[in-house]
Amino acid sequence: MSTNRRKQVNPVHLKTFVRCLLAVLLLASAGLFFVFIKNQQFALAEEIRQVERRIAGVRAQNDALLARVTELSSRRALQQKIAEGFIVMKPIQDNVIARLSPPATAAADGILRTAFVERARP
Amino acid sequence: MRWTARTRTGIVCGAVAVVFTVFSARLVHLQVAKHDEYARLAAEKHTMRVVMHARRGLIFDRNGELLASNLPVRKVVADGSHIKNPRAVARIVAPIMELDEDEVARKLSSDRKYIVLGRQLPEDKGVELRNALDKANLRGVELEPDAVRIYPNGQMLGHVLGFLDHEGAGIQGIELTMEKSLCGSDGHRFIERDRTGREIMLYRGQEEPAEHGLNVRLTIDMGLQAILEEELDLAFHDLKPEMAVGILVDPSTGEILAMANRPCFDPNNKGVGKPEEMKNRAIIDMVEPGSTFKIVVASGALNEGKVKENTGIFCENGAFAYGGKVLHDHHPYGTMTTHEILVKSSNIGSAKMALMMGDTKYHEYVRRFGFGEKSGIELPGEIGGMVNPVRRWDKLTITRMAMGQSVSVTPLQMTMGMSVIANRGKLMLPQVVRSVEDSDGAVIVAKPPKVVREVIPRKVADYVSDALGGVVGEGGTAQLAKVAGFTVAGKTGTAQKISPKGGYAPGKYVVSFVGYLPEEDPRFVCLVMIDDPKIASSLAYGGLVAAPIFSRVGERAARHLDLVPTLRAQPSIPLALNPGANRKSAATP
Repeated sequence: MSTNRRKQVNPVHLKTFVRCLLAVLLLASAGLFFVFIKNQQFALAEEIRQVERRIAGVRAQNDALLARVTELSSRRALQQKIAEGFIVMKPIQDNVIARLSPPATAAADGILRTAFVERARP
Repeated sequence: MRWTARTRTGIVCGAVAVVFTVFSARLVHLQVAKHDEYARLAAEKHTMRVVMHARRGLIFDRNGELLASNLPVRKVVADGSHIKNPRAVARIVAPIMELDEDEVARKLSSDRKYIVLGRQLPEDKGVELRNALDKANLRGVELEPDAVRIYPNGQMLGHVLGFLDHEGAGIQGIELTMEKSLCGSDGHRFIERDRTGREIMLYRGQEEPAEHGLNVRLTIDMGLQAILEEELDLAFHDLKPEMAVGILVDPSTGEILAMANRPCFDPNNKGVGKPEEMKNRAIIDMVEPGSTFKIVVASGALNEGKVKENTGIFCENGAFAYGGKVLHDHHPYGTMTTHEILVKSSNIGSAKMALMMGDTKYHEYVRRFGFGEKSGIELPGEIGGMVNPVRRWDKLTITRMAMGQSVSVTPLQMTMGMSVIANRGKLMLPQVVRSVEDSDGAVIVAKPPKVVREVIPRKVADYVSDALGGVVGEGGTAQLAKVAGFTVAGKTGTAQKISPKGGYAPGKYVVSFVGYLPEEDPRFVCLVMIDDPKIASSLAYGGLVAAPIFSRVGERAARHLDLVPTLRAQPSIPLALNPGANRKSAATP
């Protein structure tokens, strides 16, 4: 083989080739990573949307139940239950009140036995 | 020029460069110069503004009892452009919403983007509908959050609370006057949707959160309100009057503790309420007050020094000729002091005191007590009553006005007038709103009591108060107003009812009692007014009809407020009455 012919051979520059390959791989993986991250973002956002919707639903149900509780425990409802005999209010009988001092009646001293007077009485 | 390879290459490269330069220039033009325009077009196509509704504030009584609340419901809307199979969607939607399937299908067949299928769908039905649509994998139907106002106590306090219109704005009562505080302000959010109409969460845009409405705390005590309404209900049932009004006021602060009217309505079902049931007559109806108005002339005459505590006024033995007419008392009386005139409710004595004061001075006192002008309460539609200016008075006006004729007042004005005496001479601004609070209970706006003016000095008020105590005592016109264990002061009123045809309607009366307890340190002033009770006219007196209602309300209210009794407990009510002492007789020639 002549010297001239040897000179015409184009050698493969492995170092450069590897460098280029790495650069391409890096760019490709960066692109793929970007797509992956973007997909992740969409998936998470959708998940957040679903959770938001569930929270709003639960909150609305909670508010509806609170409104129902308010209605059932309202003065009107309680009065209606009393009128229907469903619940009964009875005055506290004298014999079930524990007193530290002997009871006095209005007839004895002319003072009505209201809760305030009872509290204030020595 | 030689057409060499270099030349050809140069030409091709140049041409390519020119082409790309043109493309680049166009790109820069689109991206920079036309950026805003195309961004707007893109946004219009995909972005939409979603309103985030503010929650309306709640209304509480003074003790934190909930009076007005919100019930979450759903508004069902559809986007026709996203619905491929209207019949399938209608088959699911119609039974849950209790609608006609064909009608729903017809609506959904449209290409419109916003079709309202129904409002106020209960939350549980909304969940059922959402699940059914998801299961069938159908899209295009949205459930927008909405709310309806509910009043847990029904008709109780309905006139004060008011109600909302179909758009959720207050149109009556506190709901109207406190609208700005209660309504809050809606927020918004810009979102983008995908081709299926679902929000792309990642591209959620600018957001302004909703500012929820503030809560309003009233001065009303629902315990007292319930007592008052129960007693008014009984009276309305037994006496079948045209209307009945009751008001409870704390005289030292002007706070309205209870306010009730009959007939009434349920704000939850306002659609079935009749207009006459919806009137808050305590502030928008005016009546001739009758003898309750005598506190004005007595206070004025004493304060002006026209009469002293022991000055005797001759009451003409029951018939007083003045201005060409004869004014009568129910019983003939001789000479009486101011105290006795109030206790016996003498028309002639009151008229003579007014004459001593003179037109201008008497008119001044009427106005100073707050009559003839709006009281300024935070309720809509209040009227100022009718007090004619002195120039429009005839010769008889002053004698008639002294006993509560020729003047019209609202029940609230009458209550506040009596509060002047109970509050030792000071007129307070009536208030029904105590404070405006945020959702954590922090007070944003406080409404402290406000003195409007000092009408009369304490000494005069004490004297009149003592006389009003006599009205409820032995020989007074309101012995049935007594409350066991407490000193009560007050005044009855029995006024002939004005006929729409002119003059007075025969046999029709507006009877009232306005009083307070304990007399020494009044905790509340209570007015009971019954318009045209259906009983024998010989029994239609304030002292016989309204006073017993006051007594029952007063006794229960004293228990509720846990007041310390100031009197020895006594067996009940004496039966010897002098009921007709305060009836106004129309002047006879």
